[in-house]
Amino acid sequence: MAKKLPLKQRYAALTRDVHWDPSYVAAEKVFPHTTFEGIKIHDWSKWEDPFRLTVDAYHKYQAEKDKRLYAVLDGFAQSQGHLTLSDGRYLNAMKLFLQGVTPLEYASHRLFADLSRNFNGPGPRFAALCQSIDELRHTQTEIHTLSNYNKYYPGFHNWREMHDRVWYLSVPKSFFDDALAAGPFESLIAISFSFEYLLTNLLFVPFMSAASFNGDMPSMTFGFSAQSDESRHMTLGLESIKFLLEQDEGNVPIIQDWIDKWFWRGYRVTALVAAMLDYMLPRKVMSWKEAFELYFEEQMLNGLFPDLAYYGIRPPRHVEQAIAEKDLVSHQVYWTLYQFGFAAAFTTTVPEPSEMEWLAQQYPDSFDKHYRPLWNKAKRIQDGGDRFFFQGLPELCQVCQIPMTFTEPGDPTRIAQRASVFDGERYNLCSDGCQWIFDREPEKYRQAWLPVHQIYQGNCGGPSVPEVLEWYGITDGDNGEYLGSVEHRHWQQWHAQQAEQTAPMGS
Amino acid sequence: MAVKALYEYDHPSRSRQELYGDDELVHVWWENNPMFCAAACFRVPTAIGWREFIEQMVNPWAASDPDFQPGSPTDWTLDGQPWQPDEARSLADLGIGHKSVVSFRAPTTI
Repeated sequence: MAKKLPLKQRYAALTRDVHWDPSYVAAEKVFPHTTFEGIKIHDWSKWEDPFRLTVDAYHKYQAEKDKRLYAVLDGFAQSQGHLTLSDGRYLNAMKLFLQGVTPLEYASHRLFADLSRNFNGPGPRFAALCQSIDELRHTQTEIHTLSNYNKYYPGFHNWREMHDRVWYLSVPKSFFDDALAAGPFESLIAISFSFEYLLTNLLFVPFMSAASFNGDMPSMTFGFSAQSDESRHMTLGLESIKFLLEQDEGNVPIIQDWIDKWFWRGYRVTALVAAMLDYMLPRKVMSWKEAFELYFEEQMLNGLFPDLAYYGIRPPRHVEQAIAEKDLVSHQVYWTLYQFGFAAAFTTTVPEPSEMEWLAQQYPDSFDKHYRPLWNKAKRIQDGGDRFFFQGLPELCQVCQIPMTFTEPGDPTRIAQRASVFDGERYNLCSDGCQWIFDREPEKYRQAWLPVHQIYQGNCGGPSVPEVLEWYGITDGDNGEYLGSVEHRHWQQWHAQQAEQTAPMGS
Repeated sequence: MAVKALYEYDHPSRSRQELYGDDELVHVWWENNPMFCAAACFRVPTAIGWREFIEQMVNPWAASDPDFQPGSPTDWTLDGQPWQPDEARSLADLGIGHKSVVSFRAPTTI
């Protein structure tokens, strides 16, 4: 019997040794995608594998995590765990996660499968293959975890189709489509580095801490299970960028450009997380501002970028505008979701007085001055028996696809309007960051599928709101105001029943 | 800078004016009113008169804010430039192009 190899050699034998150089077909015919972006690789063997896992070890490890997750899911379902959540409103955060993030896991699975095919170095091919499997597993476990709530609450039933159709979901969808449509090195920098390394903690940790704080054990367990994968993905992001920067000096400006673009693209997607964190959680975890300072400013700007300066890489373009917006962005985005809530597959409502106090404490420079008055007016309208909705469709940004709600740098009272003309046509953009991205590749962004423009072209079920909602797969109870909604009534009814069935001592 | 691609990369805009027939998209922005999170986007015939556009489309939208008074908008701009609409003329005559932004100011209470 053959002698057992030491781990490192065994790993090499099971991964890199499966690669061969083609002899009867030219290498560039087998791997046509790795040259056109201008990136130069001289020696693929310099790639240090960020995670040395073999397939058998990988399966064993993931199977154990899955076993734990499914045990928690069963226990939660059997004990009517949904009734122990902090409040019915909490589920809106998970609807947003299922509609907006889970399909990105699947898109990521596709992207990494594609990379594992297209790279001509065995190290990154195998790393991409592992990550592709991870992403598919995340998709499946998230669907399974959240499916339990679909038995009791609206908004969980049509997330896959919604992701392709609903206006606010075009924000994450178009972000990933943009990466999938790029060359392999740009997609790697876009997703592995800019998203998984720079921004994943901002995206993922808030949702999972939210689950833990609000009594959602299954989502929390899923989060723990995925988190160990995420740290491997982050390592891959870091290895990718270092490898590319070390391979050729000519790669540096190309990569800087991609970091500039993908930081801003990803940052705009996290605006939805900002709104979730500050407004959708009945039990608050931390404010967006605090999360941004900790996970981005401290860990990335102060931790990572000084190291990257060695390679000639500077912090992303427009980062100072993201920092300046940290007092504003969650309020602006949730205010948008609130007034377009008739067309969202979750419910929204005016924050409770105690939540307004919390927001005022967390945002002493902005909440009382700019946003509390808006909520007060919305409340007055609601108290008068009405509900404030934007009776129409909004102007959208051609790049990030968010309604043009963001304000001028330095003036939170004035919406920023940018426009670029390309090939005789005007395109509207929400910020200097999105305009810079558009102007770099206008041929790409002019093809954007903008929900508002598509509705007006008649491609979304019909010209009226009910027709569009039907096309979205939004059914009555998924959308609109939380107070008096289907889920609110269910929540109250089930808790009243529970109280009736429990005999207090001394009664 | 052009898109780097393996083939000639040239695809038409997915929002180009011809896709809307005789109509165009026009954005209307109530500049001093933060109740509206963004400007509104309307599909309108380029031949429509300014007065009809305001009465049929802009006023019902602006009335989402119960404090809106029809006829109160002033300080108009077109694509960022100060501008005075003429009620009797059409959007095309007034130089309002596809995806233009028209803004105004009007009293409201927050």
